[in-house]
This record gives sequence, C-alpha cells and structure tokens, in this order.
Amino acid sequence: MTRRLQLIGTLILLAGLLRAAPAGAQDAQAFVAALGNQAIQVLGPSVSPAQRVARFRQLFRDDFDVPGIGQFVLGRYWRTASPEEQQEFLRLFQEYIVQAYAGRLGEYGGEPFRVIGSRPSGDETVVSSVIERPNAGRVQVDWYLITRGGAPKITDVYVGGVSMKVTQRDEFSSVIQRNGGRVDALLAQLRQRLAAAR
Amino acid sequence: MSLRRSPLFVSGLMALGLALSGCAAPGPTAAGAEAFNDPLEDTNRAIFDVNQAIDRNVLLPVAKTYRTVIIPPMRQAFHDFMQNLNAPVVFANDVLQGQFGLAANTLGRILINTSMGMGGMFDFATQFGVPYHANDLGITLATWGIDEGPYLVLPVLGPSNPRDLVGQIGDGFADPGDQVAAAYHRLWASMARALVSGIDERSRNIENLADIERTSLDYYATIRSLYRQRRAAQIRHEEDNLPNPAPVQGNLGPSPAISYSVATAPPLHQVSAK
Repeated sequence: MTRRLQLIGTLILLAGLLRAAPAGAQDAQAFVAALGNQAIQVLGPSVSPAQRVARFRQLFRDDFDVPGIGQFVLGRYWRTASPEEQQEFLRLFQEYIVQAYAGRLGEYGGEPFRVIGSRPSGDETVVSSVIERPNAGRVQVDWYLITRGGAPKITDVYVGGVSMKVTQRDEFSSVIQRNGGRVDALLAQLRQRLAAAR
Repeated sequence: MSLRRSPLFVSGLMALGLALSGCAAPGPTAAGAEAFNDPLEDTNRAIFDVNQAIDRNVLLPVAKTYRTVIIPPMRQAFHDFMQNLNAPVVFANDVLQGQFGLAANTLGRILINTSMGMGGMFDFATQFGVPYHANDLGITLATWGIDEGPYLVLPVLGPSNPRDLVGQIGDGFADPGDQVAAAYHRLWASMARALVSGIDERSRNIENLADIERTSLDYYATIRSLYRQRRAAQIRHEEDNLPNPAPVQGNLGPSPAISYSVATAPPLHQVSAK
C-alpha cells in the first residue's frame, strides 16, 4: 500500500516536472506536486490522529502563508482589531485550521491527483490539479502560490471552485457580525473550540 | 428530485446537501446582511434549524441504514441509473447554454450507458473517458444573465435562491422520466425516484457534512458560503470543460467501479460522524 502510494507520488512529481512551462511556473508546479506527494505520505488513513495533527501543523507552517491568510480571513475586522488581538487571532487561527483540516484530510482516500498546468494571477501563481474519483466524478483543485523569502507559500486552495480562504472569512465575519462586530467574541469562540479539542 | 443536484465535497473539504444548524443569536446588521446576500437571514436560520432536526432524526438515520443494508455495487447501480435518468435534463441545459462540447459528452453518455450500461445501471461512459457533469436550469438562467436573488433556505430541500428554485421547478416539469410517469398515472414512480436519489445523495455526504458541522463555529454561515461559491463555480463550467481523462485500460465493466467502492467503504465507515 505504502509502496503504491510512493509510486503514485513519484509519478505525480514526474508529471509535474515534465510539463513544459516557464521556469517560475514550473517551480510552482513541482512544488505542488511534491506537496501532494508529501501530504499523501504523511497524512494517509493509516496515520494516528495525534500524529496527523502534528504533521499537518508542520506542513501548514512550512508551506502556507499563515500571516497573509490570517489577515485575509479576518476581513475588514483586521483593521478594527488591536495589535494584541491580531497576534492572538493568528495564533488561534493557525491551530484552529490545523485541528479542523487534519481530521478532514484523514478521510481523503488518497486518490492520486495530477498537476495539469499553471497560470499567473496578479503576483500569484495558480497551479491547477485534478483528482479523478472513479465513482464520484472529478474535482479540480487549484493552488494559489506566492513567493515569500525565496520560498513558495500557499495562499489559498480552491476545491471544485470553492475557496477555502473565502469560506473561512465568510464564517468568521458572520460570527463577529452576530456578536455586535466584536472581534474578541470570535477569539473567545476559537479559544473555547481549541480547549474542547484537547 | 431537487435533491439530485447537490454540489459535492471532496478530500473532506467541501460539500452541500441538506440544510442544517447555526447558533441562535441576535440578527445581523443591515450592512452584513448585504455582504452575505442574505436579507432573510433570521427566517433562513430558523428553517435551517428545522431542516437540521429533520436531517438528524429522519434523513441521516435512513441514509446510514441505506449504506449499511445495501451492498456497494447495488448502491452504485442505483446512483448510475438515476444519474442516467436525469441526463436528458442535463443535455437540454448544456444545449441551452451553448455548451456544445458538454452536450456531446452528455449525449454520448446517454447512448452508451442506456445501451451497454443496461438502462443506465452501469456507467461505462466514465470508463471510456467521458465523465459525468451536472447541469440544471438554475445554471442556464445564470448564463442568460439572471441574478441569483437573495439566499434562501428551503424547507427540507435546503440552500437555494429564487433563480435556482425556479430552475428546479422548471427542470422537474421538463424531465422526460417524470412526464412518462405522469402520462401513465404513476406518480409513485416519480416520488420513489426523488426519495431514492435524496437518500443516495445524503448517504454520499455523511462524513463530509458531519465533519464540516463539527469543525464549524457557525455551520449556517459555512454552508451558505459553500453553496454560493459552488454555484458560481458551476456557472463558470471550468471543471466540466477540462480535457476528458484517458479511458480506463484493461477490462471494461462494472468491476473497477465496484472494487473502488469496496476499497473506500471501510475507512469511511470508521471515521463516521462522531
């Protein structure tokens, strides 16, 4: 099983590397392919939940633009939040995402995805990949990348045309709005949620 | 029958089906209601809560039983059969939107699956490299420039908006299967079909929806965001217009699909809701 996954991962990597594309775009494609390879190996169904959380936390910190995503998902409330609230939000948000997505990714059956191309979008590069699921159709997964400090970082992931970043922003905005526009209400809910997860 | 057309969620990241919860709290500000295109939020949340209760007490238990009792190949056959039955409506909407490549795909799927696939019970077309795509009148109306209108949560049916609701009703009237059933006074056939496709759809999203609900601070807001983004993506047809995948090599037949279902079923069951 692991062997097969490794083989699939290698194939994905090769497929990504073999695409003819401009140098930067090619790097981005290879990065996504390698990330997919890594994710399948470290987050597969055979990994224990605690281990999966630890590994996903590492992956999220290393390969995602956490401060940028955090600022985006707080939306217009980022500006009304105090510096202390911003810092605490970033800390809580990161852990909340790790807890939420580590579980969801555990259910990902490990169907191989293939990188199908990339395109520039503003100062970002979008790498498109496709997961073909034998009985449930196909899904396009788009990875938005930006270069920070010489390394590519993921700023958003679109699954079937749905932005994870926008979904998260819509939810957090709703929570803040329904609590009279108070950012600390969201922080309290995040703290409570994380405490319960322990 | 509108239950047939639900956006899906993958890798545990996104899915929609029926409507669900949310936390009781004071109403939103006027500005916020605009941002979420949800002026009827208080009413919508109330209906959402009722739908959640129906889901928890009726639909979810039925969907779980369905998945436990019916063996995977049979469930797959039901699913493929109902998808094929709905294909004429998909074809009509492909054409109405001027998506002739997609229309050709759908027509090919109908011909292959109805003949070789024994009335649609087996999806050979996917194995030949012609995958399924969804389409409906709501998407057609959108491509004709009709605005979605305010977000609505419908009793039992879940997330919608006036445009998609009109589309659902229109698709229902246009459906050849339902027309035949009506002509022969077999209303029960249409009802059974809607019921089974609703249960099928729900049974395919048990873990996804449970996961989203478990990890959401505001489930209502998350579902609303997913629904609106997913519909916008379907209207863009990006995913559907990807090049067709290569045909499956080797033995064609129902076996690959079946072995897939069996292979994925156990882990999904283990992770089941709480």
